[in-house]
Amino acid sequence: MMINFSIGIFLATLIVSILSTRLLKLIFWYGVNSFFLGLLAIFIGFKQGDSVLIFSGVITLIFKAFTIPYYLKKFAIKFNLKRDVESDVKVHFNVMLIPVLIVFSFYLVSPFAHTVGQNSNYVAISISSLFLSLLLLIEHISVAPKIVGFLLMENSLFLLGITATGGMPMLIELGVFFDLMMAIVVINLLLKEERAI
Amino acid sequence: MILFYLTIPAFIIFFVSFFEIDKAKKILPYSSFLVLLPIIYLFLVDKPYNLIGDYMIATKLNTYVLLVSSIVAIGVILSLITLDKRVKISKKGYIQFYRFFATFWLGLTVSILSNNMGIYWIGLELATLSTVYMIKTNLSKRSISEAWNYMIVGTIAISLVLFGIILIYASAKPVLAEDAMNFQLLLENIKYIKSKTLFEIGFLMVSLGMFIKMGFFPMSLWLANIERASYYPIAALFSGILESAILVGFFNFSSLAMKINPSGVFAFVFIYAFLTLFIITFLLFKAKDFIRLFSLSGIEHMVIITLFWVSGAHFAALLHFGAHAFLKPALFLSSGILEFKKKYNFAGTLKGFGGFYGNLFYYLVGFLILAVISLPPSPMFFSEIYGISAIFSIALKSKYMLLVLTFVLLFLFLLSIIFYKFIQVYQSMKYEGEEVEKVVYVNEILSICIFALATLSLLSPLAFNYLKGIYE
Repeated sequence: MMINFSIGIFLATLIVSILSTRLLKLIFWYGVNSFFLGLLAIFIGFKQGDSVLIFSGVITLIFKAFTIPYYLKKFAIKFNLKRDVESDVKVHFNVMLIPVLIVFSFYLVSPFAHTVGQNSNYVAISISSLFLSLLLLIEHISVAPKIVGFLLMENSLFLLGITATGGMPMLIELGVFFDLMMAIVVINLLLKEERAI
Repeated sequence: MILFYLTIPAFIIFFVSFFEIDKAKKILPYSSFLVLLPIIYLFLVDKPYNLIGDYMIATKLNTYVLLVSSIVAIGVILSLITLDKRVKISKKGYIQFYRFFATFWLGLTVSILSNNMGIYWIGLELATLSTVYMIKTNLSKRSISEAWNYMIVGTIAISLVLFGIILIYASAKPVLAEDAMNFQLLLENIKYIKSKTLFEIGFLMVSLGMFIKMGFFPMSLWLANIERASYYPIAALFSGILESAILVGFFNFSSLAMKINPSGVFAFVFIYAFLTLFIITFLLFKAKDFIRLFSLSGIEHMVIITLFWVSGAHFAALLHFGAHAFLKPALFLSSGILEFKKKYNFAGTLKGFGGFYGNLFYYLVGFLILAVISLPPSPMFFSEIYGISAIFSIALKSKYMLLVLTFVLLFLFLLSIIFYKFIQVYQSMKYEGEEVEKVVYVNEILSICIFALATLSLLSPLAFNYLKGIYE
């Protein structure tokens, strides 16, 4: 029940993010999205008795739900990033594109749905989340929503890892987190240099 | 322990970058040579040799790739000594270039030696992120915009790779549990995988990610634009080290996929390669500067390598790979010298080099340009002969013989257009334009000499036997 609820909210926040036109709102929705992703990992971890997945969920909550959104908000204020982040694709096209991508993901999963068993719907949602975050990433010209799109894409991949495989090995999870932190450092440096020029 | 020795030069560069770089940069080329000692050791021991359990191992294939990429790193470090004399770079930018170069090198060493898909991805991502900042060291609005471009497109590519890895892991987990990420174990047990479709979709995603990163169709121009906007050693690092790590990943993933559906993999790569070469040929024909010319030619060579690999011509693919990895960085480093006075110009760029170093540079550039278009005795000449004959033998056994042969002939026609363009550029460099006096520094000539000698060494019987032995 809680797993279904969390994954539903995860998808809903992603859709709201695509339709957001304000940067700080977008960062907020990223935080909420990560929060429910963390909860989802914890719930699945408890269900499977997988301590590694619970640990990954806790790290997700700490870093992705709170730390990264906090720093992104700080960067937005510090570097005076453009707050108005209207996408190049008009809202009514987005409203049509989003369900098409979700339905297409379910169609894409159908050839191998039997191999992932009961999780096939979750896998379809993970793949649709990946497409939706890709949409967010490519429909904006300004940098800030692209960064959020990249982070949401990383969330979708984490969700896919949880649902399709029942969690990736711990070493890999930690490596991905390390790379994410490195990405934040590089983004900070890029924004700093951009301001200097 | 060996892994520690392999990473020492990168760590030295990283730590030195926190101190006085002006004096230290002259010592760094010497320290970077240290990397060759553990590599020689790896060549001598029985393989596969476990470096960290079975997470990272030295095989015949990755030891060869490691040697090639390390020689490229040494050559680039040598040429970096006089980077400030060639381009406008701040002291802070210089320091940060070295720092991120060390991270880049470290990431790719991990990627090349990994026997685990996840670790391979982590190393590649680390290198991608370090590259973003290296592009940015060129303080111009264009380089900032290209750095963001690289960040976004690179991230999409690397995310597709991770997406594919997760699907492959999901398909193999019922058979191998957590070991499903282990390349060697997966290769041995691939026939037991039940969900072949899931595996194939995974391979498709991994390949698409890697193809985007290598600049294949439809993202053929982004890499050239980024290399144009950044300092020229970055293009050398891309072509010699980053692409080596991507190719070693492609070799590993495609070896797995070939066990499941060889004709499907061949058809997919063949169509993709043909489309890429078709686009690249026209872009290359219109190229107006050295960096774009060499960058697009690099994509052409990677198309050839991947095609030879999936055709089963492993020796040809590896020989071509080695030659490409040595020739392209040398050409990119030479372009820094050739373009010193004026960019976006080919005419007369090879005129005005005097003295011993200048004359040597003149002949070396001639050798590099003629070698890169596969004129004998370039290793590329032999690799193309072997590779094309392998594709012909596949065509003769295939139901679609006429179709494959037609495409091969079209392929050769497109390669001949590229050949013509390079000859035209070379003649323009030598015989057209005005003569302007130019300088070549000792470290630059040494660096290019290393690449030229390394290319020639690929023709030695020792190298031929080693490359033939990798997949026997």
